[in-house]
Amino acid sequence: MTNVDDIINGIDTLRPIPPVASQIMALAGDENSSLSEIADLIVHDPSLTASILKICNAAYFGLSQRVDSVRDAIVLLGLDEIIELVLLNATAENFRDEPDGYGLGEGELWQHAVLSAYAAKMLAESHGFASHKHLVFTAALLKDIGKIIMGRFVAFSYEKINILVHSRGYSFSEAEKEVIGINHEELGARIGQKWRFGDRLIYMIRHHHMTDETARDDPETALVYLADIICMMIGFGTGVDGLAYRFYSEVLDRMNLTEKDLQNVVFDTGQRRQKLDKLLYLV
Amino acid sequence: MLDTHISHQPIAVMTAVNFGELKISRNPAETLVAFSIGAGIGVTMYDPVLKVGGLLNFVLPDSATMSSSKAQFQPFMFADTGLAAFLDALHDIGANTENLKVVIAGGAQIMDQTGAFNIGHKNHQAVTSYLGEKKMAIHYADIGGIFMRTLRLDIGNGDNLIQTLGQTEVNV
Repeated sequence: MTNVDDIINGIDTLRPIPPVASQIMALAGDENSSLSEIADLIVHDPSLTASILKICNAAYFGLSQRVDSVRDAIVLLGLDEIIELVLLNATAENFRDEPDGYGLGEGELWQHAVLSAYAAKMLAESHGFASHKHLVFTAALLKDIGKIIMGRFVAFSYEKINILVHSRGYSFSEAEKEVIGINHEELGARIGQKWRFGDRLIYMIRHHHMTDETARDDPETALVYLADIICMMIGFGTGVDGLAYRFYSEVLDRMNLTEKDLQNVVFDTGQRRQKLDKLLYLV
Repeated sequence: MLDTHISHQPIAVMTAVNFGELKISRNPAETLVAFSIGAGIGVTMYDPVLKVGGLLNFVLPDSATMSSSKAQFQPFMFADTGLAAFLDALHDIGANTENLKVVIAGGAQIMDQTGAFNIGHKNHQAVTSYLGEKKMAIHYADIGGIFMRTLRLDIGNGDNLIQTLGQTEVNV
């Protein structure tokens, strides 16, 4: 077994998320925070302002006028969209490094992260959790951040993991835990602790495969979990782990969701996927 | 003259057929490819007499479970509307249903004891029952399991290549 401490030390090789983005993540995840607080943070950070204006002025958004201030961008695109762009922009750099071991092509982990973030937000908006949509978006975006470090160790132990998944009925993350001593969701939570994410966000990253039964009662974590599964089914940014994860049907019951609801989200996510490539190159 | 150097040999092209798309080709130098098929299914149909064929990459079994505008807007997302459009398009260019070689790949499944969210299985049922009604045989099916597949159709010779991650490529 690999020494888990060695793996955790790998966290230091990531580029920390800029403090302003962490603050925005915290505010966006907090129901009691006001949108103007978030806008103020963006406005007072010159480098973030510059990135946001560059992205907003790209043809992708089809704005008829040039945007020269964050305030204008917020008016034209809406604060929600701007917050999402800030979050994408803050996480893109780490995710673009292709993790070895999961059999993913260049940028595929990032594509999966972004698509599942939008899928999770759609689920939140359409099933009564709109007030938590930024938290759910952020958690879905960051849920697999542990894979960036884990990949190397998965590559090293791939044969053992593969035997457990193929012949012994393990899910991929159960096999990671058994063979390597830690799985990508636990490692993701450790990254969140190191980077001082909020407790809710860390919890959602830690439990996004719902291995722990108590997490299945947590509706926001359930949204991230379902969004992840929908993106796996679509086959977007999915690697050697494929669909080797468990589906717990009680999650649907507790969320009052039917298979038809999920099929609708598969459709909407599929449509979003068709438009996503252009956005991914902007941030 | 400049154009004396232009090659008249066909240039091999590979065309991606993305999720929710259908592509038809009669270019013998073209290969149609659907990458990373998950619970959806890639369907190829090929007329060896005319040397024309196509690839449909759908992901949901039944357009009737959605609002009708969704199927109208994105017919290739669904087995029923996608296959109907596929056959229409092949007939329009003169293909004969009886000649068509049909290959399907995909329908991967999440690890689900109860089958509550088993789109891969439903997609497979949808294709087999649709083609069954048309009395069309499936030449080769690679369906189910927990892994992604890539499906290619070579329009020049009608060969299908199916690649499942971590396994040897199958040529049918």
